[in-house]
Amino acid sequence: MKRRDFVKGLAVATATAGTAIGQQKPAPQAQNPAPAANAADQGTMAVNPAAASAPAAQDRVRQQAQFKTPNIPVSQPDVVATTDTRYFTPVRYATLVHLCEVLMPASNDYPSAVKAGAPEFLDFYLGASPAEEQKLYNDGLDRLNADCMKQFKTPFAKADMKQADAVIRPHLKGWMNDHPPRETHVRFVNLAHRDIRTVTLNSTAWAMAADAAGERTPGVGLYWSPIDPGIETWVKHGVAQATPTTKHAHS
Amino acid sequence: MAQKKVDVLIIGSGHTGGMAAKILTEKGIACTMLDAGPMLNFEKYRELKPASQLPYRGLGTPGRNPHIYQSSEFNENQWVDEKVIPYSHPSDQIYNWVRVRSVGGRSPFWGRQSFRHSDYEFKSKDHDGFGENWPIQYSDLIPYYDRVEEIFRVTGSTEHLPQYPDGKFIEDKAPWSGAMQRFVDAGKKHGVPVTKPRSSQGRDGLAASLNLLLPDAVQTGKLTMIPNAIVRQITVDKNTGLADGVTFVDRHSHREMTLKARVIIVAAGTLETTKLLMASEICNSSGALGHYLTDQIYGAGIICSVPEARDGKSRGITGGGALIPGFRNLDTKTDGFLRRYAVNVSCSNGPFDPRALPYYGAELDSKLASYNGSSFSTNIMGETLGHYDNHVTLNKQVLDAWGMPTLNIATRYTSNETNMTKDYIDTMAAMATDAGFEILVKNYEFNPPGFSIHEQGTARMSADPKKGVVNQWNQTHDMKNVFITDASVFVSAGWQNPTITMCALAMRASEHLAEEMRKGNV
Repeated sequence: MKRRDFVKGLAVATATAGTAIGQQKPAPQAQNPAPAANAADQGTMAVNPAAASAPAAQDRVRQQAQFKTPNIPVSQPDVVATTDTRYFTPVRYATLVHLCEVLMPASNDYPSAVKAGAPEFLDFYLGASPAEEQKLYNDGLDRLNADCMKQFKTPFAKADMKQADAVIRPHLKGWMNDHPPRETHVRFVNLAHRDIRTVTLNSTAWAMAADAAGERTPGVGLYWSPIDPGIETWVKHGVAQATPTTKHAHS
Repeated sequence: MAQKKVDVLIIGSGHTGGMAAKILTEKGIACTMLDAGPMLNFEKYRELKPASQLPYRGLGTPGRNPHIYQSSEFNENQWVDEKVIPYSHPSDQIYNWVRVRSVGGRSPFWGRQSFRHSDYEFKSKDHDGFGENWPIQYSDLIPYYDRVEEIFRVTGSTEHLPQYPDGKFIEDKAPWSGAMQRFVDAGKKHGVPVTKPRSSQGRDGLAASLNLLLPDAVQTGKLTMIPNAIVRQITVDKNTGLADGVTFVDRHSHREMTLKARVIIVAAGTLETTKLLMASEICNSSGALGHYLTDQIYGAGIICSVPEARDGKSRGITGGGALIPGFRNLDTKTDGFLRRYAVNVSCSNGPFDPRALPYYGAELDSKLASYNGSSFSTNIMGETLGHYDNHVTLNKQVLDAWGMPTLNIATRYTSNETNMTKDYIDTMAAMATDAGFEILVKNYEFNPPGFSIHEQGTARMSADPKKGVVNQWNQTHDMKNVFITDASVFVSAGWQNPTITMCALAMRASEHLAEEMRKGNV
């Protein structure tokens, strides 16, 4: 607001108020409405004057509070986009892609792990994971490749199904609860298998395939949102913020 | 506002805080309850969602909740984030401290297995010489167990086993499925009792303080509930030497506040309670505070397939579960370990766990289709020993997000737990073989301490003020107006899920407190 408009507004409000008292009539609405007089609205005024100063403004806030979210269907980004890969080296990534092809090929109505974007997703996921898990994957992929080179003189990424089976199957073990096998490479093979299955079964492509096949939506669970997060990071707490003013500071 | 002194201040709103609030307010005593977390709003915070819509496709946020095996991408927000409230342990002594901070505490999330302790637990030292007896016996708690079971609506069957006291159950009269009957029969051959599970039904799918206890307290008009209040310290009146209130921090604003109280009940959950007493530098004339931490081992087990239930023939053959109560070291001594383990038995006619099948691709799909509905598994719940060295200390070097000291937890299992687990796996495998099941996995490895979320001890109960923190009424020896109602007062763990015993003790302590307040003794 320009200064002359502000002053003009004040003048109108003042004149109107004076006239209203004299005539004992409700005051007409001023250009700048008079501050709310009751205690409750004064509290809102202190926080947000624009929302509190007039009955119409208060009505708007109440109306907004009652507004129900419109039902606009949303989609997962995987419907239209692919995941960029940037973590694994090209050799390791090629090994991972082939591992996905071998461990989880397409079935009748459902996509393969590769079609479901499992390799790209795991590249993203491992790139964000703790170093210990990254090492398990990096070493495990290297070992698969090395085993294949040693046995068949061909990289794992180019191994046929029989060759791939020969380097994978000896390491598959049954396990339960939170106890995958302890031996490092066996652990990798079994955890990678679990991860590939998980990110495939829980992919958008798999959900769409289930929908197309008339099956119920897979993998539905009770999701908890963050519960009233109470952490604020922009205020420093616990110590006095101001340096006490000493007598010397005034002199 | 002028500060007022509240009659009873309850710190923590889980099962035992809730029980204390219910009992005391129903006797006309005004209670104020502080909880460190927010009020839950199930409609606001929960929704059904397919895993394909989760950011990490069900693998969970990378690196989040590394000590919480129970965490999944669906529920990872319900647990305390250890980056916000850290704790530490020696590098070779892993401890899983699984915490929840919201009104109701961990009570909305417990497993609901509902067992009574017996005198094999309360008088454990008499049986094997280890540790100490509790200063109470089973008969002291019977009337309280009866009432707690009615509140929680416990289902079960009457078994007449001294180590597995019967209670006020909604009687489980369902017949065993075919496979379970075979396992029951195999148990008889091995001298192992296989019984029906005992579980709290609660109301409307929930058996929490939120819906079973706190509403009764609210109904009296005597409960003031304050969420988001993180208690920093219990304060002491220098003239009387008694507790006179607390200082707490508002979770959102970090505003520090003071509250005066006539009586304080600490029900923050075992290790949170002990941490608060340590931070307040009270109730440790015995030197026992922080020591004798114990819990139960979980995680070891077997997975089997019931051959006759495969290929779509599971109807009537599989289904149901069982509980094997502790059966070792009752009247005889077993080589290699003290105390007992119990076993959860599950016989599922649902999908088979692919982890148990060492196949991949089309071969795995074929196996899963065939094995569907044929699953049989067991899991251990084994008592661990509360050694003095299993202890916690306050870490003032590492502070949480509210500037509070954190906890260092140093505890380890011994050969007792290893030997117990070996006996368990070998016994279950023999029974499963006799029942005609195909054993696919035998896992001798159990989870680290803390996993069971049944931490107990560190403020144990004793009639002797030199040996324990509280007396037989859950009243601290050092301050007659401070009571502790959670499992920190447990002297030994037992194999049992502790919740029903915690609630029975809290009920008993609260009634004692009410009477002492009426007499003017507190």
